[in-house]
Amino acid sequence: MPSFVSYLIHTLFPPSVRLPDILLIDVGLVFGIIGIVVFLTKTGRWGSLWRDWLTTVDHKKIAVMYLIAALLMLFRGGVDALMIRAQLAAPGAHFMPASQYDEVFTTHGTIMIFFMAMPFIFALFNAVVPLMIGARDVAFPRLNAMSYWLFAMGAALFNVSFIIGGSPNAGWTAYPPYTGLAYNPGPGENYYFLALLIAGLGTTMTGINFLVTTIRMRAPGMTLMKMPMFVWSTMVTSALILFAFPPLTVALAMSLFDRLFGSSFFTLAHGGMPMMYVNLFWLFGHPEVYILVIPLFGVFSEVVATYSRKALFGYPLMVVSILAIMFLSYGTWVHHFFTMGAGPGVNAFFGLSTMLIAIPTGVKIFNWIFTMWGGRIQMTTAMLYQLAFIPTFVIGGATGVLLAVVPADYQFHNSYFLIAHFHNVIIGGTVFGLLSALYYWWPKMFGMKLNERQGRWAFWLFFIGFWVTFTPQYFLGLKGMTRRIYTYPAGFGWHQLNVISTVGALIMGAAFVVLVYNIVWSLRFGERDLTGDPWDGRTLEWALPSPVPEYNFARIPVVHERDAWWAMKQRGQSLAGSLRAEDVHDVEMPKNTPIPFLIGVSFFVMGFGMTFKWWPIAIIGFIGVILCLLFSGFDYDDHHHLKADVIRNTEASLGRLQG
Amino acid sequence: MSEHGNTALTIKEAYEQDNDKGLKFLRPHFAEEKFPAVQIAGYIGSLVLTFAAYFLVMNHVLPPAALLAIILALAVFQAGLQLGVFMHLKESRGLAWQLIPLYLVFLIALGMVGMSIWIMLFKSGVS
Repeated sequence: MPSFVSYLIHTLFPPSVRLPDILLIDVGLVFGIIGIVVFLTKTGRWGSLWRDWLTTVDHKKIAVMYLIAALLMLFRGGVDALMIRAQLAAPGAHFMPASQYDEVFTTHGTIMIFFMAMPFIFALFNAVVPLMIGARDVAFPRLNAMSYWLFAMGAALFNVSFIIGGSPNAGWTAYPPYTGLAYNPGPGENYYFLALLIAGLGTTMTGINFLVTTIRMRAPGMTLMKMPMFVWSTMVTSALILFAFPPLTVALAMSLFDRLFGSSFFTLAHGGMPMMYVNLFWLFGHPEVYILVIPLFGVFSEVVATYSRKALFGYPLMVVSILAIMFLSYGTWVHHFFTMGAGPGVNAFFGLSTMLIAIPTGVKIFNWIFTMWGGRIQMTTAMLYQLAFIPTFVIGGATGVLLAVVPADYQFHNSYFLIAHFHNVIIGGTVFGLLSALYYWWPKMFGMKLNERQGRWAFWLFFIGFWVTFTPQYFLGLKGMTRRIYTYPAGFGWHQLNVISTVGALIMGAAFVVLVYNIVWSLRFGERDLTGDPWDGRTLEWALPSPVPEYNFARIPVVHERDAWWAMKQRGQSLAGSLRAEDVHDVEMPKNTPIPFLIGVSFFVMGFGMTFKWWPIAIIGFIGVILCLLFSGFDYDDHHHLKADVIRNTEASLGRLQG
Repeated sequence: MSEHGNTALTIKEAYEQDNDKGLKFLRPHFAEEKFPAVQIAGYIGSLVLTFAAYFLVMNHVLPPAALLAIILALAVFQAGLQLGVFMHLKESRGLAWQLIPLYLVFLIALGMVGMSIWIMLFKSGVS
């Protein structure tokens, strides 16, 4: 028995997770969990947690859960970033051991891409897409909840790695042979592959769900060319997800087979092809960067039109360019590994195809500027992010074109120039867009505005902090500093630039603190949104009260033009004014179900068992998955009818019923 | 109240109006059977094809080149089977939307596989 206990302790708590800072976090987590349990028990909220959140299939609540998870992960990834910057602030520093540094930059990248940006984007999809297209829910509500719980459990599995067993440490790209069993025997990389497989399954289902939703669930009259731009971007992103995630799934599964079952897909020995992993990963990876940015192109198209009080300039051209980006993004992936040496023919082809993408992107930039041209611009926080996005993204895109020049890429490759470039586009494009969307749609999601004054503080801190952090990194890259470097000697001329970069990171950290303060303050004291249309919006979600009732639309609207809600207002109409009691009918609504949550838990158990090769536990989890699927397959009692009277009462209490 | 004021329809009403205009094909028509015999046959067929590939490879019954060709053929056949049986390839209401992404899939998959082969040709001296 003692040998079993010592085996457990040795496996679950190896020396790499017994560092003082991690032990401190362990203690904090224990107290945190006890605190949450006591709080829920004392206030008697277990039932409401189960009924309203864990078993919900309502897209609006799923959006809130995605948002909470994304903000938590933004915190985690941000702390990792600050640790990286602390380590690099001085030459020869040993702020943390080298092995921990590897784990920190790996988790920073993985969390920010897969567990921050992706769920934040899905939060936006869930929060507004059904409202924008005049639907009562997504096409497959239960699948939607399942997507969420698979993502959440994947994220949970990834996050337990640093307290139990040890974090992955092969970079967010997890190239072999760094991930090979011979060189990396700990459970960390198993965590990485399993967490991403589970979360990736959820993401693929989200792609399917929103592709079908945007194609099939639009209100009568909303043709493709009358869809709001954000819906277009959702459709294109979903298609990208659907085609891009299978190569990732395959690459991850094959790597996992190499580690768990002794296969040799990507090993150095036995005829494995490590570079094939790189090829498959970027087959996914390049569309992925467009998955991360296209939804925000949609957000900016909505934000700029609303706050300029003008229709979006060049809508058809925007649609064409977004489709062109989607298509071209499948033909550029080799630019992530020009230095593999695939020969001049291959490199020249992919260098040119990469530069080609700059053209449709440039078209979009000009269209946003022309939308603002001659408009009456309101300088709200959301609009500030939009204004910051344009120059930031243009500079990030321009350095991307520099990287696409193959001979130059041999110099820039894996230097801090690259790091600065992709942070420039991902923060300047994705994160600015996400924060813009947060301020823009917050009233619709929660029923109150975020305080604008505090929002402007957060914006300026974030914007200035961003440039202070990443401008020096371009020059560090040109001076020869490579990525993932643990420490460096004095005398290379890197010290001052690194100090500036760290100061910038601290400013961005301060911006995050202000953002959280802004959210907490506004939840308590924020200005309530009583009209449902605080920004004088253009699309259908603003026709509804804030927060939106369970059934979304008491009566499905009929759409006659683009910017449907704006046109209705111009005609002096509203959805509320014309709603007569006899127009309200019973509504078929999806029923809450525990299956998505349980299937997520089962996947977590299975993933945890496989990570440590504890097959009995893995099999228990697998049986759980199968049972959930079987039960779900034969569960025909999946919807209920919301009575017309209930809807009438709700609408009347909101003052939206005639007579 | 403008001319558009009273045109709001429920989805059901919209369908009924469409039917009046002779657009009968817009009415939902999904394949519905008492017992899903086709699906079960498809499921068993998929399993058989998968295990056939597995045993062919594990027992090294043929030279590698022939094995590759056979498992590739089995894979393509199974993909077709699953598309036909489980992916509702032929069912639709109005325009068969599912076919458009499918054509795109073929195009992209061909591009991905073809270009991957092209890219990886360099590796003769590496692995």
